[in-house]
Amino acid sequence: MKWTEMEVEQPTVMTMLRQAVKKDRLSHAYIFEGMHGSRKEEAALLMAQSIFCARQTEGRPCESCVECKRIAHGNHPDVMFLHPDGDSIKKAQVEALQKEFTYKGMEAGTKVYLVHQADTMTASAGNSLLKFLEEPASPTMAVLLTENAHFLLPTIQSRAQRISFAPPLLSTRTAYFQEQGMSPASAGLLARLPDETLANYEEESKEWIVQGRALVIQLISEVQQRPQQALLTLQEKWLVHFKDRKELDIGLDLLLFWYRDLLSVQKAGGEFAYPDQMQKLESQALSITEQEIAASMQFILDAKRRLRANVNNQLLMEQLVLHLQEGS
Amino acid sequence: MHFTIQRDAFVHSVQHVNKAVSSRTTIPILTGIKIEATNYGVTLTGSDSDISIETFIPASDGEKEYVTIKEEGSIVLQARFFAEIVKKLPGEEIEVAVQDQFATTLRSGSVVFNLNGLDPEEYPRLPQLDEDNHFQMPQNLLKDMVRQTVFAVSTQETRPVLTGVNLEGEESELICTATDSHRLAMRKASVETKTGAMSLSNVVIPGKSLNELNKVLEDSTELVDIIVTESQVLFKFENLLFFSRLLDGKYPVTKNMIPDHAKTELVLRTKELLSSLERALLLSREAKNNVINLKTMNNSEIEVSSVSAEVGKVTEKISCDTMEGEELRISFNGKNIMDALKVIDSETIKIRFTGAMSPFTVQPTDHDQMLHLFSPVRTY
Repeated sequence: MKWTEMEVEQPTVMTMLRQAVKKDRLSHAYIFEGMHGSRKEEAALLMAQSIFCARQTEGRPCESCVECKRIAHGNHPDVMFLHPDGDSIKKAQVEALQKEFTYKGMEAGTKVYLVHQADTMTASAGNSLLKFLEEPASPTMAVLLTENAHFLLPTIQSRAQRISFAPPLLSTRTAYFQEQGMSPASAGLLARLPDETLANYEEESKEWIVQGRALVIQLISEVQQRPQQALLTLQEKWLVHFKDRKELDIGLDLLLFWYRDLLSVQKAGGEFAYPDQMQKLESQALSITEQEIAASMQFILDAKRRLRANVNNQLLMEQLVLHLQEGS
Repeated sequence: MHFTIQRDAFVHSVQHVNKAVSSRTTIPILTGIKIEATNYGVTLTGSDSDISIETFIPASDGEKEYVTIKEEGSIVLQARFFAEIVKKLPGEEIEVAVQDQFATTLRSGSVVFNLNGLDPEEYPRLPQLDEDNHFQMPQNLLKDMVRQTVFAVSTQETRPVLTGVNLEGEESELICTATDSHRLAMRKASVETKTGAMSLSNVVIPGKSLNELNKVLEDSTELVDIIVTESQVLFKFENLLFFSRLLDGKYPVTKNMIPDHAKTELVLRTKELLSSLERALLLSREAKNNVINLKTMNNSEIEVSSVSAEVGKVTEKISCDTMEGEELRISFNGKNIMDALKVIDSETIKIRFTGAMSPFTVQPTDHDQMLHLFSPVRTY
C-alpha cells in the first residue's frame, strides 16, 4: 500500500490531504512543493485515486479497484497529465489541456489535471492557465508539482493552496549512498543533490562526483588565494569536467554547498557537506564576513537561474568567479 | 476469451471502430481496440475520448452464423497492428484466443499471430443510457441537418462552446443551431420521440464529432436512435453505436437574435446569387476580407460589387423575382453567404434586411425549416 508508505514519509502532508478528501473540502488548485525525492508525484496520484476510488476508507484509496489502477497506469480519461515539452511547458500545451476541458467529463464527475515541473511553464503558458485555474467550467482540480514554487507566477501562487513536502532526511539518504559503495565524503554530497540529476549518472557518478568535488575545492582556494589562476582552472578543468548544462548545474550545487558549510562553520553547527575539509573551511571562515558569504551564495543562485535561461556556460562561470572574487 | 469469427464481418467492424482511434492520444489504453465476447456476439470499441464507436457482431442473424463463442471475456489490442493484421489474414475465419497475462493469439488458415494485449478493465466505460431523452429520425434527414449547420461552427477556441452545434428540442421538434458569432445557421426538423415529450436544452455536440458522424451516416431512410445523456450523446444504428462527448458551457440564447420584421425583402434564385458571389469574391479574396457590397436598384434589380484597392473592381446586376421595401446599401462577408447558399437545396431564397447596420436573414422560400442569419460588415 503506497498510501501507508507515504504516510510514514510525509506524515503532515498526507494527513492534511486525507482530511480534505474525507471532509470533502478539497481546494480547486494545489501547489505541491518539495525537493526531488520527496515523492510529491506519488502523493498527487494517490490524492486523485482517493477522489475517484469507490471504496476509499477515511480518505484513503483502496489502490486495488479499477479506478485506482487506471489512475496509477495513466489510463483514466478524466485524470490528465502535463509534462514539459523539452525544457518548458509551452502555451500550446496549456491550450490543448484547456481544449480537453471544454468537453464534459468522459465518465462524469470531477476532472483532475497534474502539471509536472510547473515551474518550467513559460510566462504566457502560466498566464493562459491562470484564467482557467480560476474559473473552470466544470468541477476540476489542478495539482501543480514544482520544486520551487517561487518560480511560479505570483498570480498562480495566490490562487492555489500550497502544500510543502518535507525534504527526504539527509541522514537516510547519506546512509543509502554509502550502502551503494560510495565513500562517506561523496555520499554526503550525493545525498544533498536532487534525485533526478543523479538518475543519469548512476554508474559513472562515483568517479565523476569525486573529481567534481576536488575541482570545487581547487577552484575555491584559487578564488581565494590566486585570483589570476582561477580563470585558467575554469577553462582547463572545470568546463571540461562539467560539460553540459545539467552537469554544470550540479557543479554549481557543489559550489553552493561549500559556502553553506562556511556559514555553518561561522555559526558553529549543522551538518557539513565537506566534513574532511574542516581546516580549509575554518581558515576561510575567519577571513570572510557573513554578508560576504550570503552575497556569494546569491551569486551562485543567480548563476543557476541564468543557466536555465540558456546563458553560455563559459561566460556564466567566468562572471561567477569574478563576482566571487570581488565578494570575498 | 476464445471465439472464431467470419473474417469479412470482423474486418468490416474493425475498420469502423478504427476510425475513432487516434494515434495521438495521451491515454495509453486508447491506442487499443477493445474486444468483448459474450454469448450474444462480439462487441468492438474504439475511442479517442472525444468520440467512441462501438460495433456489434451478433453470433448469428437467422440466416448466417458469424461467431462461435467458446469462452466469454474481453481484451484490448493495439489498434495500429490489429487492424492491419486482421485485414491481411488469409483464411475465411479468424480464431481469437486470450491466454494468461493478456497474451492473445490470432489464428487464421496457417497463420498465427501472438499479440500482447492490455487489461480491458482499464478501458474507459461508456455512459449508462437512460431512455429519457430518446428520439428517432431518418439517417438522410440527420445527414442533411448536420451538413446544413456544421459549416457555421466557430473554428476559434476563444469561445469553446461555439465550436459545437446546439441541439434544442421541444415536443417533437428538434432545432439545431450553429454560430461563430458572425453568422448563424439554424435547422428545424420534426422527430419521433420514444417517450412522448422530449425536452432538450443546451446539448452542444462538437463540430468535429459531427463531421466524423457524417462519414458513418448513409443516404437511406433507415431510422437512427439518438439518446442524450448527461455528458455524452449517442447515435444508435443497427449494430453500430456512435458516442460523442458534449461540450461544456452555456450556449448563447439565439432565439431573440432573429429579427421578426423586415425593411427590405428580396426573392432571388439561389444558383444565380451563388455564382455571382463567386465571381465577386475572385477579387476580394485577394484583399482577404471577402467584403461584398450589395445595392438595390430601381427595376427590381440588385447590384453586387466588390472592390480591391490593388486589383480592381467588379460589378454585376442580378434581377430579383420580387423586391419589396426600402432602398438599401449593405456590405457583408461574401464567403459566409456562399457557405450558406451551398447548403440550401431550394431553387429560390428569400433575403430579409432590417437595415444597413443590422443583421439579415436568408431562408429558402419553399419551407421554413431552415434559417441563416448574418451580420453585415461596416465599410466606412
